[in-house]
Amino acid sequence: MKEVFIGRENLLKLIGRWARNQRVYVPVTFDIMNNPETPDYELVKEEVPEKLELHGACPAQSPKTFLFYAREVVAKYPSSDPEANVEAPATIVVGPRACDLNGLEKFDKVYWSTKHFSEEYDDPFYVEKRRNTILVSVDCTAPKETCFCTMMGGQPYAEDGFDLNISPLESGYILTTGSEKGEKLLDGSDDLFTPVDSGHEDERTRSRASVTAAVERQNAQYAVDVPYDKHELGSDRDAWAYVTQNCVGCGACNRVCPSCTCFLLVDQRAEGGYERTRNWDTCLSIGYARTGGGGNSRPNLAQRFENRLRCKLEYSRDRYGAVSCTGCGRCIDVCMGRIDMREAIKHVVTEMSKA
Amino acid sequence: MKNLYRPIESVIEDIKQESPNITTYRFRPKEPLTFGAGQFVELTVPGVGEAPFTPSSNPNITETMEITIMDVGTVTHALTKMKVGDTVGIRGPYGNGYNMADFDGKEILIMGGGVGLAPLRSLILALFDDIDRYKKISIRYGARTPEDIIFKDLLGEWEKMKNTEVLLTIDEPADNWTGKVGVVTVLLDDLPLLTTADIGKSPFSAETAVACVCGPPIMLKFVNIALLEKGFKPESIYHSMERNMSCGLGKCGHCMMGELYICKDGPVMTAAEVAKFEDPF
Repeated sequence: MKEVFIGRENLLKLIGRWARNQRVYVPVTFDIMNNPETPDYELVKEEVPEKLELHGACPAQSPKTFLFYAREVVAKYPSSDPEANVEAPATIVVGPRACDLNGLEKFDKVYWSTKHFSEEYDDPFYVEKRRNTILVSVDCTAPKETCFCTMMGGQPYAEDGFDLNISPLESGYILTTGSEKGEKLLDGSDDLFTPVDSGHEDERTRSRASVTAAVERQNAQYAVDVPYDKHELGSDRDAWAYVTQNCVGCGACNRVCPSCTCFLLVDQRAEGGYERTRNWDTCLSIGYARTGGGGNSRPNLAQRFENRLRCKLEYSRDRYGAVSCTGCGRCIDVCMGRIDMREAIKHVVTEMSKA
Repeated sequence: MKNLYRPIESVIEDIKQESPNITTYRFRPKEPLTFGAGQFVELTVPGVGEAPFTPSSNPNITETMEITIMDVGTVTHALTKMKVGDTVGIRGPYGNGYNMADFDGKEILIMGGGVGLAPLRSLILALFDDIDRYKKISIRYGARTPEDIIFKDLLGEWEKMKNTEVLLTIDEPADNWTGKVGVVTVLLDDLPLLTTADIGKSPFSAETAVACVCGPPIMLKFVNIALLEKGFKPESIYHSMERNMSCGLGKCGHCMMGELYICKDGPVMTAAEVAKFEDPF
């Protein structure tokens, strides 16, 4: 592990150097959004955008966007070529938060399974991109009202899972390497760095502690007797129906979720034959579990809403050893029914304990 | 890296109408593609899409594969428009399938409903290839009407196999039917309990009886109840679970039941494995 300090101007220069050899995405604030404080990713073209925003909370999209495309051709047929021939250009993503890295852990387990389990199927489209992607994570310096990483066993800064981590300070940034790939990002740029001094370290420690405390404070009202990541949600039908009443099944929560891995395969005519695309899917849609004969194990929206939350808190834990909700709060940010997952979890847990 | 989503071109070699809406297709894949009894494949109708099917042919025949299909959905309906010589896609096999060693020295009850006999035919033919290893094979099959009975020409042949019986029922009385009438569980009504009191009276014993069940979800539900009542052990009742296995790879999520992927942990699951679910079928 190597740590260096860098000022803002030099950080822009450093990112500019990276952009000469590979695609670099950075979080930028957009004025066109309803909430101009929410940054989202932009590709660095000629110059590193001045609006690069590393302070504040997570970008609007989760980094899965770069590793598991919203829509992607996964097969052209007829074909006798067994290889996937994935196009995966070298890419650097600057901006994922600790919650986002936790979400990618679920992706790694589902799509890059031989890393975790033997005799499983590795997905070439995910694995090739994952191998060629460098993750530059950023400490959260100001949580959104909807952030609840600490409720899910997480924290607003990353200690592993990144190639390089950026800790924003008032006067600049501390860069921390987490892998060989991360170290290479610093190679040849010593002219831009100064050593990290104890003042920088103290400032980072204080910042991390105060952000963690802020997240904990704003979620005190949602706390239940057992931490969310260790809970059994129970099957109180009325409680689930109650928390689902404002859900319209649009699936926005699935799409912004850093750990929603599900997809739908769609075949269609294409040049030279046919193609199969893989598209982000939502477990809230009525057709999700429907079988050919018309059977459906979750015909009601309340069952599907329940399934989604249980998948995050229970099924992921039982299958992959960790809850997959990371507390990033994006599902709350985008819900048109204004459903707050924290309130939903609390309601279901509280009602169950009464029963 | 290998592309998991590419279908292997397979030519339709034969088409046989089994019932008004059920057809058996024989495919010849252009690349090696084998399966074990109870495993499934994803069948592509070009440009239309994929659907999961368990082959109905003998898994020991490796050059061709038969799939018996009921016309119920988009993919199956598109398939009815295809002719001998046309090309489809197949990828797989996926899922656990039956572990044939589990059946050594056992009495095997095979319960099929409707098109559910199709996947079981693959198992039956595999069992027949090693028939001396099993004590008894009892095939009990229910269809809606006499016309809906599939593999009509085979059922008579199966009956002649060593230690094998075939019992049939139809859901409602019909003029051309003299056999049993009632949903498939009526074929279990005469079966004595597999408990100590009934030892000797039953062709099945609690210790060595296994059941392999395949049919519509509602049938699985009631056959499961009936078999447990008769004294079959939950770990000896093998259900062929029906879910929307879309990718077959344990990734897309469509077939999940709790933390289980039916495409990987199933589709063959014992009554013991599904017991923790409120309504697994």
